[in-house]
Amino acid sequence: MKPFRAGEQKTPPPPQQMSDVAIMRFEHIFEVDPKLMTEHVRQQDFPNWDTQRIAASRHDHLEWMHAHWATVVVSGEELADD
Amino acid sequence: MSAVATPGALDDRALAELAQVLGSEHLITTKPARMHRARVPAPFPVHRWADHLPDAVVLPGSTEEVAEVVRIANRFRIPVVPRAGGTGLTDGAVPLRHGILLDLKRLDRIHEIDLENRTCTVGAGVNMLKLNEVLARHGLIYPDDPASYPCSLVGGRIGTSGWSLIGSRYGHTRDLVLSFIHVLPTGDVVRFGDGGGPKVSKSSTGYTLKPLFMGHQGTLGVATEATLKLYPKPEAELSPFWAFEDYDTAHRALRELAWADCATFAGAVLFDEHKVAYLRRDDEAYIPQPENVRALVCAVLYGNEDEVRPGGKRLMRIARENGARYLGDEISQGDWAARHDRYATPLHGRTKAGQVVPMSWHCEDAAINWTELAAVRREWHAIVARLRERSDVFDDWGMFAYTSARTGVDYLTEIDVGIWEQELDDESWAMWIEAKRDIAAVAVAHGGSISACHGACREGEVDVVPDELGGAYDVMKSLKRTLDPLNVMNPGKYGLDGSFEEDLK
Repeated sequence: MKPFRAGEQKTPPPPQQMSDVAIMRFEHIFEVDPKLMTEHVRQQDFPNWDTQRIAASRHDHLEWMHAHWATVVVSGEELADD
Repeated sequence: MSAVATPGALDDRALAELAQVLGSEHLITTKPARMHRARVPAPFPVHRWADHLPDAVVLPGSTEEVAEVVRIANRFRIPVVPRAGGTGLTDGAVPLRHGILLDLKRLDRIHEIDLENRTCTVGAGVNMLKLNEVLARHGLIYPDDPASYPCSLVGGRIGTSGWSLIGSRYGHTRDLVLSFIHVLPTGDVVRFGDGGGPKVSKSSTGYTLKPLFMGHQGTLGVATEATLKLYPKPEAELSPFWAFEDYDTAHRALRELAWADCATFAGAVLFDEHKVAYLRRDDEAYIPQPENVRALVCAVLYGNEDEVRPGGKRLMRIARENGARYLGDEISQGDWAARHDRYATPLHGRTKAGQVVPMSWHCEDAAINWTELAAVRREWHAIVARLRERSDVFDDWGMFAYTSARTGVDYLTEIDVGIWEQELDDESWAMWIEAKRDIAAVAVAHGGSISACHGACREGEVDVVPDELGGAYDVMKSLKRTLDPLNVMNPGKYGLDGSFEEDLK
């Protein structure tokens, strides 16, 4: 396991341009292109772990919501393949 | 003393009487408490916040305390505005004449769960999500599912006659609430339901009064306790999302999915090109989608697993035959789960130059027949485009159309507009009101209704209500005058001050 180094958390991975208006630094986590956040709203600095925590929390919330409404979530991919 | 309720009537004598009924800890006059209850999530004229401040907030703990507050208001001619979750989008809970803000959140008890008849009886301050956590222990659910599901309350759902995402399967609030205890504008307490029994779903005794006391936006009193219809918690959920290359193909597929008449079909949603463009800007599910994705449809099924699976298979086939491409389980399941909780979405819009600005979400809704959806969409986008041309305060976030009924006859049709509240001033607010009036007029011109869900008592849209209802609007005014002779309940809403013109002179 890679040891935790606080200093490393302040350097996000290099961005990958995903569209005219969005970039991606961590897999499946998209951000508004920073060039669009210069006049009225500034981007906040997040440590890497916090960015990943927020995304993971969102997934936890969505999982919780499925379980709240039904016992089983049926896969559309399975039905489409039948 | 004025003949009817007026601003400024809440004096020290009235405050003393309220404190005696409620206890001083449940009578609040501090500015933060009043400011927090002056607005709802819909864009608000923040530059005119003071116009909407209540004079006092009361938090009654029982039906009798609510009734006593209303009786005091009648004696002193004080306006009363009921407020449950404060999540409504038509300003029902926003005071127009100051007065007493009646906050229902302390009515938060589950009084009874009747497992034999599958009902429960709850206070108006109970939230559906929290209620369903309790009901799940018994394998039951109360399937009233607005976009504000985690934060709206049963009392507000009654006051607005709410619409539910899965209403095509389970019905909407009017169908799910069997009966409720109601404090009339005079302070009298009655029960409204189907007939007199609190747990009856169909009666032919007397007038059918229950619907009249739902959706009145607090102008005809306050529901304090409700008896609700319960269903088994679904075994299974399926929520396929499909991509289409153009709106017209998606629009036709939407109808075919509703017409499939699957018993577990709980609803379908159409996303238009503007909505897809908006999502492609900021939503992780849609940023990577190819350019030929220009419209989306989703459907949702709930029920027994051995019924959901064959129903789902049928819908997958129908969608494919109608030009759809399945977007995969990750997007389908993630996006559907997020639909139960749209109020949690962090919001920002863009200036015309593309810069990010903080914006509030305004959802302008109407009930529109399937045949009219395409024309209404064109006219609504043209209205919002004119707004955006004139000001960066407004941003078009696209349109949804949700099935209201399982036959696909009509759709909750919404256009989402981002509004940069901090930049609002009288000029831009007037532009917005004019646009709202135009949007409502389009819905009526196409044989629809100004609102399927929120209500129609906000500035702008409310001007069109008499056009939509015709002679029925005069009946509304007569009923208001008869039931609330001192115009105590939520005065100013729905233009009903017109019933009291002589008294207000």
